[in-house]
Amino acid sequence: MRDVIFMAWRYLRFYRGKTAVLVASISLILFLPAGLHVLVEQGAEVLTARAETTPLLIGAKGSAVDLTLSALYFRPPHVESMRHREVTRVDRSGLAHGIPMHLRFTAGRQRIVGTTIDYAEFRGLTVDRGRWLAMLGECMLGSEAARALGVDLDDHVLSSAGSAFDVAGSFPLKMPVVGVLAPTGTSDDEIVLVDIKTAWVIAGLAHGHEDVNSAGKDDGRVLQREGRNVVANASVLSYTEITVENMDSFHFHGNPDGFPIDAVLAVPASFKASVLLRGRYEEGDVPVQMIVPSVVVNELLETMFSVRDWVVLGGLAVGVASAMTAALVFALSIRVRRREIETIQKIGGARKRLVTILGAEITFVIVMAVVIAGVLTAVVSRFGELAARLVGA
Amino acid sequence: MKILLFIAAMLVILAGCSDGRNEATESASAGAGKPLVYTTNYPLQYFVDRIAAPVVEVRFLAPGDEDPAYWRPDAESVLAMQKADLLVLNGASYEGWLKNVSLSPQRMVVTTDGLGDFLIPLETETTHSHGLEGEHEHHGTAFTTWLDPTLAAAQAASIEGVLAARWPRHADRFATQLAELTRELTALDAEAQAIVAGNPGLTVIFSHPIYQYFIQRYGLSARSVHWEPDQMPDETQWRELRAILGEFRAAWMIWEAPPLPQVSGRLASMGVRSAVFDPCANTPGSGDYFSVMRENLETLRRVFAADRPPAGR
Amino acid sequence: MIAVRDLTFGYPQGGFELRLRELKVTRGEGVALVGPSGCGKTTLLHLLAGILRPVSGSVLIDDVEVSALRLEDRQDYRALSMGLVFQEFELLEYLDVLDNVLLPYRISPALGLDEAAKQRAVELVEQVGLADKKNSYPRRLSQGERQRVAVCRSLVTRPRVLFGDEPTANLDADNRDQVMGTLFRYAAEKQAPLIVVTHDPELRERFPTVLDIRELTP
Repeated sequence: MRDVIFMAWRYLRFYRGKTAVLVASISLILFLPAGLHVLVEQGAEVLTARAETTPLLIGAKGSAVDLTLSALYFRPPHVESMRHREVTRVDRSGLAHGIPMHLRFTAGRQRIVGTTIDYAEFRGLTVDRGRWLAMLGECMLGSEAARALGVDLDDHVLSSAGSAFDVAGSFPLKMPVVGVLAPTGTSDDEIVLVDIKTAWVIAGLAHGHEDVNSAGKDDGRVLQREGRNVVANASVLSYTEITVENMDSFHFHGNPDGFPIDAVLAVPASFKASVLLRGRYEEGDVPVQMIVPSVVVNELLETMFSVRDWVVLGGLAVGVASAMTAALVFALSIRVRRREIETIQKIGGARKRLVTILGAEITFVIVMAVVIAGVLTAVVSRFGELAARLVGA
Repeated sequence: MKILLFIAAMLVILAGCSDGRNEATESASAGAGKPLVYTTNYPLQYFVDRIAAPVVEVRFLAPGDEDPAYWRPDAESVLAMQKADLLVLNGASYEGWLKNVSLSPQRMVVTTDGLGDFLIPLETETTHSHGLEGEHEHHGTAFTTWLDPTLAAAQAASIEGVLAARWPRHADRFATQLAELTRELTALDAEAQAIVAGNPGLTVIFSHPIYQYFIQRYGLSARSVHWEPDQMPDETQWRELRAILGEFRAAWMIWEAPPLPQVSGRLASMGVRSAVFDPCANTPGSGDYFSVMRENLETLRRVFAADRPPAGR
Repeated sequence: MIAVRDLTFGYPQGGFELRLRELKVTRGEGVALVGPSGCGKTTLLHLLAGILRPVSGSVLIDDVEVSALRLEDRQDYRALSMGLVFQEFELLEYLDVLDNVLLPYRISPALGLDEAAKQRAVELVEQVGLADKKNSYPRRLSQGERQRVAVCRSLVTRPRVLFGDEPTANLDADNRDQVMGTLFRYAAEKQAPLIVVTHDPELRERFPTVLDIRELTP
């Protein structure tokens, strides 16, 4: 056996170019379906884990998939907004408490998530450096968001303007970074976390400016007076950053209960409470929908799995064709080595030994390919979760 | 009667409410042992302590020399409040800083929620809007609800409801201690009523518009100016007072703190005596809420007795 | 010690036939096998070496009827007892000089590679003047050097019989002398029969016995 291995290895080593090509192509044929399978499994695990930690989700009526993707994975929201009073509706049910989410804005490519401090407790977020949000206008960054934006503690993040066609729709706000979250391995790593009220400032529903309440009658900023209300004109400029000095001037116009949010995470007190609550939302005359994210994700995954199965099947077909090609290459290679084989036989080489040596060459190539495919699959398994999140981002 | 019905209704609502957590939820004040409750003024701290001691630890963050209504928490104070198991708020526009901070709504109780009909809007405030179609700023309300013992009792009931829901194991204790507190508040209310009844129709000037709920409760005939006890009013302000005195005969100005001697002297020359009614928003130097309110009632007794019309007239 | 009797051979496709009544080669005897091209010299060599099996007749080497052995046994016998040198050297390109010399040990289960064999290989390589190239690959060797390696390969197993098929056909005079000198020395030392097919008249002269295949096969 030692001699067989010796002969096979020497041949492969001498013709290393040919060996490398064979090993590479076989390992790719093996890796592609295996790697894809692992990637899809991990992607499914990531999606499922996130969905399973979110008992109930409320959003405007429409696509449950869009709602899930935006509220759990922070994809751009394609659902309509709803009113903040939907949070109150949940709280008043006595069956769950609601955590609002505002998801319309971004800072660069990172989603700005406007919510309350309860979100951090619900998701088990912890501070890696700095501190929690405390004051209006502050932001915290997920670990990946900090890296992507190239900012850290004591830097500032500027919210991006809305679309080019909605110039009046958002007010870029300069937000100090007061904390960076510890990595969680979830989409929370990608976010800019702000208080929901800060999100409303960005939306222009709350702002701060110089005092006009006490403006004199000849003040150029006053359009007109209606009783005890001063109507200010457009020359009153809002602050673009909230500081200790100007914070008191920030105020809301209108009732915050009617302000927009994009989703409500409903955290039920018990399983029974969740069932009761779902019943109320399904039967009641409510303007919103309540979904169970894990159900939505499972349906999505079934589609993903069937696509994966087709791709794997295609990969297998390619694999079979490639195996046949490799076999042909090997057969031709033996023909080219005819004289070598004859010599060996002439000097007394046993036919069986010869066959074993040729078999060992094939085995070596396959083993090396399997090992490489295995290593690549392991790498995908290790970093695939990251890749899956990047692909999902 | 109406207020009692409100208290009862609130207890029923709160008994049904759950904030989604059970008693098994770990206290945020991990390591300290006792649940931690923050309040935003002294009267609320006193009520929580009366109802919940020794089960909870109560803290109140505003410095002793500052009016809590105008206290603005910094980030450090907000972070401290985030660690509370419960945050007891006055509501009624008291915590103007609430819109500027990040605190958990799940851990807050607004003790004046449900007192809608009794809250007094500050329509005399100036607001603004932007453009002709813009929404107005929200009007505020008067906030010294604890000066009306019946509203204070409603606030205390609201506190007890949330405490019992959060820590049901101690519900009996909370209920007993609330009942005792409510008895004392009712007695205070009766005493105040008796004092006012002794001289109905008496008009009093208040140095600051912070006694709205006391005035509302006892139906006082009152006018307010905007004078600070540590400042000499300017001539415009004196003219305003003279105009009021021209309309209403008032022999007393009630201050939130002792005025400057020169101010009280000038008032006396106008036939207006000065008396102090401590609004008790912050921790008293000595005593507690009831001792301060009893002192206030003594002041009131003097005011209402001094100016009583002679019998038979 | 090589005895052939009534040997007949023909390829399955026909067109060639070899008949040999008798041939004897004694121990230590050097025989040059000569004759025109296509008359069956190489075929006879292959029959004697057991590479081909006769249709009838026998080939005995030291009383072992090699021609009657099964294929595997013939191969084992050849590996154990015979040394062969070919015209085209037939080295394996992917083995260095030493490994080419030791090739018989790698490809035959009848032989076991031990330290003694490795030592013999080194000595043989030094004997033929290739000590400094023992780790070189065939593509770096000249024709003469390659054939010297092939000779070492044929001798490393201490064969009892030596066969050569035009072993010096592609060599210059010096290399021819060196290669044949090594073979002659071994044959004399070990008293091993040495049978060489050759066209070279000068080489023919060096053999005590010259057999013309035309005379052997009527």
